[in-house]
Amino acid sequence: MAQQILATTRRDFLGGAMGGIALGLAPGLIGSAQAADDFKIGLFYAQSGPASLFGPTQLASAQLAVDEVNKAGGIMGRQIKLFPTDAGGPPADTTKSAVRLLLEDKVDLLIGSHDSATREALVATIKSKVPYIYTPVYEGGECSYNTYVIADTPEQQIRPSVTWMMQERKARSFYLIGDDYVWPRKSNEHAKKYIADNGGKIVNEEYVPFGAPNKFEEAVTRIKSAKPDAVLITLVGADNVNFNRTFAGFGLDKEIARLSLLLEENTLKGIGADGSNNLFSCMSYYANAPGEANKKFKDAYFAKFGDKAPQLSIIGTDCYAGVNCAKALVEKAQGTNARALMTAANGLTFNSAAGPWTMYGQHVDKTMYIAGCKGTEFEIIKTIEHVKHGEACKAA
Amino acid sequence: MRVVSAALVALILLLPLGLSDYRAYQLALYFLYAAAATGIGLCWGRAGFLPLGQAMFFGLAAYLAGLTLIWLGDSIWVFVLLPLAAATAGLLAYGIGLLVFRRQGESGPYFSMITLALSLLAFQLATSWNDVTGGFNGLKGIPGLPGLDDFSAAYYVSATALLIVLSLGAWLYAAPVGVLWRALAQNERRVALFGFNTNALKAVAFGVSGLFAGIGGAIYAPQQGLVTPQVAGFGLSADLVIWAAVGGRFGLLGPTLGVLLVGALTTELRDRIGFWEVLMAGFFILVVLAFPRGLIGVIAPLVRWLEGWQRTRPAVPAPPRRGATEPAQLTLSDVSAEIGEVKILDHLSLRIAGPGIFCIIGPNGAGKTSTFNLLTGELAPRGGCVLLDDAEITGLPPHRIIARGVGRKFQIPTIFTDLTVAENLCIALWSCRAAGIELLMPRLKRWTSPMLDELVRRYPFLAAGRRRAAELSHGQRQVLELAMALLTEPRLLLLDEPCAGLSPEETASVIDLIRWAGRKLQIAIVVIEHDMTLVKELAETIYVLQNGALLAQGDIDTIRANADVRAVYVGGEK
Amino acid sequence: MDPLIVTQALNVVYGVTTLALLVLGLAVIFGLLGVLNIAHGEFIMTGAYCAYVTQANGWPFLAALPLALIICGALGFVVERGLIRPLYARPFDTLVATWGLSLLLRKLTEAIFGMGFYNVDVPLPGTVALLGTDYPAYRLVLIAISGAVLIGLFVWFRISRTGTRIKAMVGNRELAEAVGLPVRRLATYTFVIGTCLAGLAGVLIAPLVPVQPFMGLDYVLKTFFVLVVGGLGTVMGVLSGAAVIGGLDSVVSAAIDATYGYLTVLVVAILFLWLKPRGLFARS
Repeated sequence: MAQQILATTRRDFLGGAMGGIALGLAPGLIGSAQAADDFKIGLFYAQSGPASLFGPTQLASAQLAVDEVNKAGGIMGRQIKLFPTDAGGPPADTTKSAVRLLLEDKVDLLIGSHDSATREALVATIKSKVPYIYTPVYEGGECSYNTYVIADTPEQQIRPSVTWMMQERKARSFYLIGDDYVWPRKSNEHAKKYIADNGGKIVNEEYVPFGAPNKFEEAVTRIKSAKPDAVLITLVGADNVNFNRTFAGFGLDKEIARLSLLLEENTLKGIGADGSNNLFSCMSYYANAPGEANKKFKDAYFAKFGDKAPQLSIIGTDCYAGVNCAKALVEKAQGTNARALMTAANGLTFNSAAGPWTMYGQHVDKTMYIAGCKGTEFEIIKTIEHVKHGEACKAA
Repeated sequence: MRVVSAALVALILLLPLGLSDYRAYQLALYFLYAAAATGIGLCWGRAGFLPLGQAMFFGLAAYLAGLTLIWLGDSIWVFVLLPLAAATAGLLAYGIGLLVFRRQGESGPYFSMITLALSLLAFQLATSWNDVTGGFNGLKGIPGLPGLDDFSAAYYVSATALLIVLSLGAWLYAAPVGVLWRALAQNERRVALFGFNTNALKAVAFGVSGLFAGIGGAIYAPQQGLVTPQVAGFGLSADLVIWAAVGGRFGLLGPTLGVLLVGALTTELRDRIGFWEVLMAGFFILVVLAFPRGLIGVIAPLVRWLEGWQRTRPAVPAPPRRGATEPAQLTLSDVSAEIGEVKILDHLSLRIAGPGIFCIIGPNGAGKTSTFNLLTGELAPRGGCVLLDDAEITGLPPHRIIARGVGRKFQIPTIFTDLTVAENLCIALWSCRAAGIELLMPRLKRWTSPMLDELVRRYPFLAAGRRRAAELSHGQRQVLELAMALLTEPRLLLLDEPCAGLSPEETASVIDLIRWAGRKLQIAIVVIEHDMTLVKELAETIYVLQNGALLAQGDIDTIRANADVRAVYVGGEK
Repeated sequence: MDPLIVTQALNVVYGVTTLALLVLGLAVIFGLLGVLNIAHGEFIMTGAYCAYVTQANGWPFLAALPLALIICGALGFVVERGLIRPLYARPFDTLVATWGLSLLLRKLTEAIFGMGFYNVDVPLPGTVALLGTDYPAYRLVLIAISGAVLIGLFVWFRISRTGTRIKAMVGNRELAEAVGLPVRRLATYTFVIGTCLAGLAGVLIAPLVPVQPFMGLDYVLKTFFVLVVGGLGTVMGVLSGAAVIGGLDSVVSAAIDATYGYLTVLVVAILFLWLKPRGLFARS
């Protein structure tokens, strides 16, 4: 009977069985052998995704530091081998790569330049087994064991810049606008405190969905009608560009000052000369920051990468500092023992593109710059030395 | 086949022995994605609609499981609640499917777009609803499954989840419901006209796919320790679809193959090959253009020879058809219907009292086929009513009318050409005999009935079960469809030109079959026919339609003598 | 009147008309050919990069228009012939294939221009006093151009020979083929018109947004939603869809905030897809 034959047909099930065997074996063939005496550093940077705009300078700056360290004898005599790894996708993809770095490549140390969601996922994955250095501007609060932060903190960025805006630019009222995720919200909490301390007021606080296709005509019109003295911007990337171009397009740039908390050279290039009038930024590094250290760094950077050098930016130079931090930290601790590293980190001095930095409490005190935009360049308006990071990590 | 399945299971179970912890961990994660992608294969490859937001169900279960684990810690209760999280995702999918399909009844891009928009919505809610989901940074600090937290245990948990999904899938694909899914992907209307609620069938498919995604998601939470909005969003949804397409959506294992191959290779090579994404994009395009059945379609021929091993198993007698069995009494009173501006039926009234064979004749456009469409619920009347026995059937959906004992054969044979002859016959046998949970029992494929035996005796080609219906000649297709209509053993059988395009010999045998069926089943058979020779041979009573109304009725002599009929029907007689 | 309300009203008009402009290319490709072109946003991106290249070479802004038409047209021609033509009968496969295409175009752009943001100077900077408020001049011009392009397309489609032939092809492909219309060539024309329109929209939108390889992703979903809400195949459909999606987004964003605007768009799109899948003004 026809039906009887049908009943036991499992062609589909079979159809895949062979495939299962083939792919089960495939990954095993692609292993990689490394020299045993290299000092292996995994670098998480944005190779894909919206942040990949920073990818080239992240990689180039880290590479430059690796070259310099290796030329000077490596870390405790071991040459650094860099494992650049994409952290531009969802956190789960990045932790998967982290597991590979830990178990397969057996890296000695990790450096990360990515968002906080990924950082938290990574901290949970690494479980303090290897030292982890986190580099980009963030909202504060990272005190995990064997984790070292060289990023600008809210205390360093926001207190000086808001105070400056209020005291020297006479801004009394602020409009806060940001992307809806943790960095803008935490930063605004700090900002509101400083604004209140200085006797200013918040006109409105507004967030746009992070990762959605945003447009800003409505928000800008609201700002126009609210007439604040200044706008504090915690938008990032394309949203930041889009907002500022719309803002200037509506002609608000002459009367209302803007302070953006994540505004570096790439973003400014997007905003353009016709959008950057009366726009300010505050960070620990600008490509045209003064000082011998930056000059030396830039000479080396352009000597290595020439005319095709990726646009310099703090996101990149922090990776440069990260590699230098790794060298100083491991050499001071005479190895990668977590306890020794944690002890060594206190009072550790290492090189950044902006000069030497000193770490304590797992964070770094540093010189901050307040910059105004001149076309698509930053112009340093004020230099504030030895700004405390303000994080309260208990020494472990 | 059992040997191969067992080998597959053994391979999955033994694999970690030959793999490092990292590969095991990575495979474990991809097993979970594979579970979700299998659901896409089920919807897209089987039931014919493409869900674009499958990560929504994956993410929902992941968040539910994460919250449960945070709440309960290492209590043993998590082993009860985690399956519930997966089931919730399945139920949500089923609910969405029911709502959308019932409203639309189609499987085109609109359904896909709804699922896509829902997935974007899920992502935004997961991002905005900080208090519960942890916002953009995600739900953190989810503990592992109690006692199963190391890499190899996590591997086995994932492997088990995937094996459960694949076993469920294999079972469903082998069950009647699997055959019905493939049938409705090809011709949904025809499946409804065998009395099946196609919208419910599609909703079940979507529900199962949601369950599969949910199983993956529920394990994902403890395995990763973190759930971020991305696992509910568009990115993962799109990846799952691409993986399923590349691996091959038609086979059960295709999506798994796609996930493991593309996904695993991506993790391996993304950081080593700079232009990896370009390679992938080119690869997808190549697969779509050159291997539309996916990679599994490429290796399928290698294993086709194994089909020779089929064991035959004893046939099982099908139960009698549900519902009333006495011949139908059909009454149309004052029925009018329009298509657009055109009046199709104009105050048509007629009565057909079975048993017996009745013919409807009339010039083109008289409303003959429209009358059939009206009777099977596919044409909604603007006025009047249709009574089957004494119950009104006006406005009922087709599958409910069929369930009351109506069977139909179309003028152009509408069999399921992608299915085998045996599967076609099975669908007819299941019609009005199996419903609900029974459709999950592969045993039903072994059903037989005295009618089937008789049909096979008359037409031996019907016994060549594994032949695809597409390979049949036109005449064989006509016979197959007629056989399918008869197998349902209806009380009212509607035959639209059953002999169209047949040779004289075939015509004779079909006429003989219809007359035999009329005698044997004692039912009402209504035949639309142009050929007056056949009408004369078949009909006891003839109805003549013109311009959507009844012109005359009676036996052949009465009709021939009728002046009105002669007036409109000059030359109608051969 | 309150200048706030006037400005927000202008924002709504601006939102609707620019959205309609961005949709047009897809309206032709999806609406007439039924091709689910996921790479629509990347054709817009290509147009925007044309505007950037024009500026970088010191050419006048308007020179970007012919450049975009040539490049997007050529690209559309190659894509239709090589990728779309074998897939007309397989809509879901087109989806996967054009998804791959969007990835390719993005990567290609990345290879040529890098990942960085570019900006295109606003050709008409400054604001214009209108109804008691100041509104950016270029945005007003864009509103006017969008309207003109919509009307132009509507008229052309109505009265030109090619328009009539395309309508015949869309109405009944087999019949059109039977009466001797060059259906395959018409399909290529139609596709190329669609990509050209996308490129044109890209040029015009470029001065207002960051120009970067990912920009296309911002448009693709919204434009699909506009088409399903408005209905396929008619200019009225495009306009009404843009009015519902763009209008609601603007109004809710103005009244509450952008998050609610975005959520409203998603919910309304879902409701339309579910309850009125043929849209407001479907081709009969």
